[in-house]
Amino acid sequence: MRILLVDDEADLVDAIARGLRRNGYAVDTALDGDEALAKATWTPYDLICLDITMPGIDGFEVCRSLRQNPPEGVAPRILMLTARDTVEERIRGLDVGADDYLVKPFAFDELAARVRSLLRRDPGRTGAVLEVGTLRLDTATHGVTRADRNMDLTAKEFALLRYFMSRPGEVVSQEDLLDHVWDEHADPFTNTVRVTVGTLRRKLSVEGETSLIETIVGSGYRLTDGGAGS
Amino acid sequence: MKPEGGSGLNTRKSNRLGSIRTRLALLYSILLFGLAAIVVGGIYLSLSRALSDEPVSRDARYSDMIVEAEPTHAEGRLAAFEQEVNRRALDQLRTYSVTAVAALFLGSLAVGWYVAGLVLRPIGRISSVAREISATDLSRRIELGGPDDELRDMADTFDDMLGRLDVAFESQRRFVQEASHELRNPLAVLRANLDVVMADPDADTDDFRAAGEVAGRAAARMSALVDDLLLYAHHERTDSRREPIDASTVVVETVEDFGATASADGVVLQHEVADELLVVGDPVALRRALANLLSNAIRVSDPGGRVRVTAGQDSEMVWMSVLDDGPGLSPEDQERVFQRFWRGDRASAREAGRSGLGLAIVRQIAEAHGGQVTLRSTVGVGSTFTVWLPRFVDS
Repeated sequence: MRILLVDDEADLVDAIARGLRRNGYAVDTALDGDEALAKATWTPYDLICLDITMPGIDGFEVCRSLRQNPPEGVAPRILMLTARDTVEERIRGLDVGADDYLVKPFAFDELAARVRSLLRRDPGRTGAVLEVGTLRLDTATHGVTRADRNMDLTAKEFALLRYFMSRPGEVVSQEDLLDHVWDEHADPFTNTVRVTVGTLRRKLSVEGETSLIETIVGSGYRLTDGGAGS
Repeated sequence: MKPEGGSGLNTRKSNRLGSIRTRLALLYSILLFGLAAIVVGGIYLSLSRALSDEPVSRDARYSDMIVEAEPTHAEGRLAAFEQEVNRRALDQLRTYSVTAVAALFLGSLAVGWYVAGLVLRPIGRISSVAREISATDLSRRIELGGPDDELRDMADTFDDMLGRLDVAFESQRRFVQEASHELRNPLAVLRANLDVVMADPDADTDDFRAAGEVAGRAAARMSALVDDLLLYAHHERTDSRREPIDASTVVVETVEDFGATASADGVVLQHEVADELLVVGDPVALRRALANLLSNAIRVSDPGGRVRVTAGQDSEMVWMSVLDDGPGLSPEDQERVFQRFWRGDRASAREAGRSGLGLAIVRQIAEAHGGQVTLRSTVGVGSTFTVWLPRFVDS
């Protein structure tokens, strides 16, 4: 899941980005409206956290512009983060296309919960827990089990597995993974995706069973339920 | 001046006897009753005096006529007869008078009650509107209408006052809202940093140190903001100190205060001040206004730049001017520069802990002194801020 964080307070952006990365999200940042629009045009973000009061184009404008000329693919969810708290401002924010509204100052845990809630509003998914075969992933507590055995995953591996588990049985290309699991600092020409998929595959594997993550030569990867049935 | 007289609010509904309407009606009918009683009593008395003179029996011609009819003891019997007639007539008159006056009293009481009610009705309307007005909703007005009389005048005055209060409350509300927005941003920085670092089990000393530095910055910003907010709120009051002072002293001293800051930034600070610039005002406030202008000018100047402070007077006004050769302001920015919380460059202003209230405070101080602040600026050339104050003439 890839998130764009937009706020002109560098100190705030740094802290939230750090917190969200620890929760296994790929986070890009922008310090003003122009930068936000430029990044959102080129990257298919899953979620954009948007401040309203910014120099140049403000958050309302960014939101309206993103809704009027949506980037290709799935439109990003938009969460407004703002110091403006009047009812009129909230209504205006939701009316220009925001999905949710959070007033500063906020508890980071609340932000994380709202991010989870916004990101799971995909078709067919309603809860915080993803299950594929005997594999179980809790997006809130970050617990991952396979056949009731706890898995110890890094944030990046967790993010990768969450992305696979939200698309079970689908072929996921390396570009998809770079877009949604890695942030703007990832170098697309390294083998970081291949390496991380390899580690994750090894951690998930159980003696004598086929691997859960298949490599589809030439197109990408696919998560299967390991033949365990459902 | 009885103390219980002040408790009228609690007994507004029940104490009908003490109401103005009752008192007006009573006063009206008592006055009318008194007048009527005097008139009727006067008529009665003068009539009874006139009759007690027994005019008929003393009038010769009438006596003669009666004498002819009743020759024997005529005089004595005629007098008795006349007395009897007079007495009965007076009795009749007394009964009628008392009845009439009593009826008049009752009638006047009713009329008085009605008329007093009619006259006082607008007051009832005024007080019911006043009761419905709360501090949060000052939009209601009495709008009495009707003839242009004393009560209409009072109601209109009341409406005007409500209008002014409404404007004042509205600007206060906006100010509080803006101030709370400004405080929320550093609070959000503080909270997010602490939340994130505290929740991270792998956080090391460096992480905590970094979070502490951010928290320190946020706290410094908030305290600068709170200082300026208090200052702003203070100057919004009109009861601050006012005395005749020499503005040239204020200017020279303030310029001297900024000497060190200017040379540290490599800015040349010059001043040219006329003598004896008398104005009525608060020296602390004027010094603050000039200091805000000076620190702005020094901040926008490049090293090697020049800031010139001049002061002088014409026949009516004393002026203090701060000129810089910084980047200048675009026409749009010139309009916004005196607005509260406007900052040319938000990010750098934040780092420097500037509140965005500096020029708003300058304008406020100038206006509180009956003067104004003006700005002339050209992009690429520089800006000149001038504070104009009414000149004090000792008469």
